[in-house]
Amino acid sequence: MRITIPFGLPGQFRRNLEGCRGSLYKLAYSWCHDAALADDLVQETLLRALDRSEQLRELARLKGWLCSILANCLRDHYRRVRALVDLEELDETVLAHDETPEVAHTSTQLVSRVRAEVGRLPLGQRQVLTLVDLEGCSYAEVAEILTVPIGTVMSRLCRARATLKERLLDEAPGSAERDNANKIRIVR
Amino acid sequence: MKTEHDVSREMQNAFVDGELDRSDWGRIAEQLGRDESLRAEVCEIRTVKDLVRGAYAAPPQAPRLSVAGGRRWTAIAALCLVSAGAGWLLHTAFAPGVSETEAALAEGASLREVSNERVVLHVSSSRRATLQTALDDVEEVLRAAAQRGRRIEIEIVANSSGLELLRAEISPFPARIASLRAQYSNLTLVACNQTIDRLREKGVTVLLLPGVQIAPTALDQIVKRLQSGWAYVRA
Repeated sequence: MRITIPFGLPGQFRRNLEGCRGSLYKLAYSWCHDAALADDLVQETLLRALDRSEQLRELARLKGWLCSILANCLRDHYRRVRALVDLEELDETVLAHDETPEVAHTSTQLVSRVRAEVGRLPLGQRQVLTLVDLEGCSYAEVAEILTVPIGTVMSRLCRARATLKERLLDEAPGSAERDNANKIRIVR
Repeated sequence: MKTEHDVSREMQNAFVDGELDRSDWGRIAEQLGRDESLRAEVCEIRTVKDLVRGAYAAPPQAPRLSVAGGRRWTAIAALCLVSAGAGWLLHTAFAPGVSETEAALAEGASLREVSNERVVLHVSSSRRATLQTALDDVEEVLRAAAQRGRRIEIEIVANSSGLELLRAEISPFPARIASLRAQYSNLTLVACNQTIDRLREKGVTVLLLPGVQIAPTALDQIVKRLQSGWAYVRA
């Protein structure tokens, strides 16, 4: 039986934890697209962080540490609900989205369209993309958080963005009849 | 898209993400000035990055989170404010290692050495071995305390799949829990209502063992206990 006493944490640690909560939720939501699940994952992450606070050696590493706990929580969740053990399979998981990409495409809601496409990315790519873009993590931090080589981080990021560019920015064949207002224009 | 220059996609992404060292950055920045196709590609990467950021700038909140979440977190924050000196800074400064108190407790041959202890035991897994060990520990601590005439209180808080421990017709140890309850009035059992709600949403009928209390969320309950000076133990 392990015992942790989360008293005695200085104010700086507390403030940092507090400051991470919102972005953790954002990240969790971007990974699972389920508000209730994201809430649970963040709760679980914070409890584990309290439980294992002695594992964190430097406050500067707090963000990455919390992100890796969150990634583990998500992994545990998927293992529980789907009895998935194969991690490679897990990395390939895509999200079922309320709106199909086609529906989202005709939607004026740019946000939901982007989310739908991010959700169609394999989980491995989605995590790398959101850690870099939402959390502002360096490639080295992402490699550590997800325990993959940095080359994998770069190739996943590259593929994720290429896919998003193709689906969001490029004109899809046969889409000329679609409402032009929905196209995203790039000003160069 | 076929590129007309020698800057790979990986390099372009690294450029946009600020991952390049000075010389590579300079080389690409210089090339950007005269290569329109490279400029277009880098611009697209930036656009995609901005779109992703924008898409999650305001994620929808879980129904409970918007109201209770802030309060819960404030509670944790308040809790952490109750600073007890010794721990964090010291063992960060002299890392590796944990504070002596924590080390003593973590080796924790047992809770018996801790006087006047009140412990909240958090169970979030349904692994049979975990539950068995938790109940073994609880029983041992309660018995030892009773023998020594020492007052101790233990509260088991169950959520997530750990709720199975406290569910009638599901719990792997209903008889043992009943006997512990009968024997020790200083043992309380608390179920997380949020977990119950989630199960009900899935159409699962949740029946609890006799005497199990319900808290709004496991986190609420744990924070409440910690604020009153209870120790936290994870099963």
